[in-house]
Amino acid sequence: MARDASRARRPQAPEESAFPLAPTPGRGSPLSPLVHGVMAFVYTTDLSAVRSLVHLHALRAGLTESRAIDLMLAVSEVAANTVRHAKSPGCLDIWYDAREIICQIRDRGFIADPLAGRRKPAMDALGGHGLWIVNQVCDEVEMRSDETGTTIRLHMTLSH
Amino acid sequence: MPSAVWYNKCVDLLTVSVRARESAGEPYTLVEIAGEADVTNTDELHRLLDEEVAAQPRTMIIDMSGLRFMDSSALHALLRVNRSLDRQGGVLALVSPQAAVAKILRLTTADRLIPVFDSVAEAAAG
Repeated sequence: MARDASRARRPQAPEESAFPLAPTPGRGSPLSPLVHGVMAFVYTTDLSAVRSLVHLHALRAGLTESRAIDLMLAVSEVAANTVRHAKSPGCLDIWYDAREIICQIRDRGFIADPLAGRRKPAMDALGGHGLWIVNQVCDEVEMRSDETGTTIRLHMTLSH
Repeated sequence: MPSAVWYNKCVDLLTVSVRARESAGEPYTLVEIAGEADVTNTDELHRLLDEEVAAQPRTMIIDMSGLRFMDSSALHALLRVNRSLDRQGGVLALVSPQAAVAKILRLTTADRLIPVFDSVAEAAAG
């Protein structure tokens, strides 16, 4: 009670937690706007075409074959989530500059867990590997998800 | 070595063929998976493999040399087959994964759960 009384005498400050939560991947600030020269591709279940496109542009951007395969694997896993969960077509945008190549995947699905893909599934787990693989192979993964849909941006640095 | 072709089925991008073979008097089931295995054909892949598991082979060898791509849902189909075979005393072996397939096997450490060989002959010899 005494503590409450002392707190009440303090000047009014906006409600603030002593340990503010770090921004979560799902609820962060808006993503930076798209740049010019973006390649856009809408897919439903044609994941093979999605993979071909990513592989092609990854090599053009200057990724090594091994890292081009990594990016293709990551995009395919995200696009597979569209097929499985989103019940809507997905949109893939690809762009790159001298520094990095970015693949953005948007769909109408909702990912409730902001830490999806951040924990390693058990070796013989029969699910949950997809987004974990994405986080393993990409240099940076940005995820924004709300009731209107999910946007995932995968970054690969070109200097590797 | 004579080999009877049981079937050869195409699931869009994916071809699965199954043959009964023998190595040093020991029968084994050889499954060749070619093309691209992903979420769009993984149910069919799992169904085809399950049919073979139901025949209770002691050894099932999956030749992946023609498989250009495999995603995590196809990997889960393989892990399920491995688990079923294991429960009935059988063994699953994988052969010649290409770069993209080898990558996902390594990343998920599935290659520590299911043995991977360079050739069918090596896998058959155990």
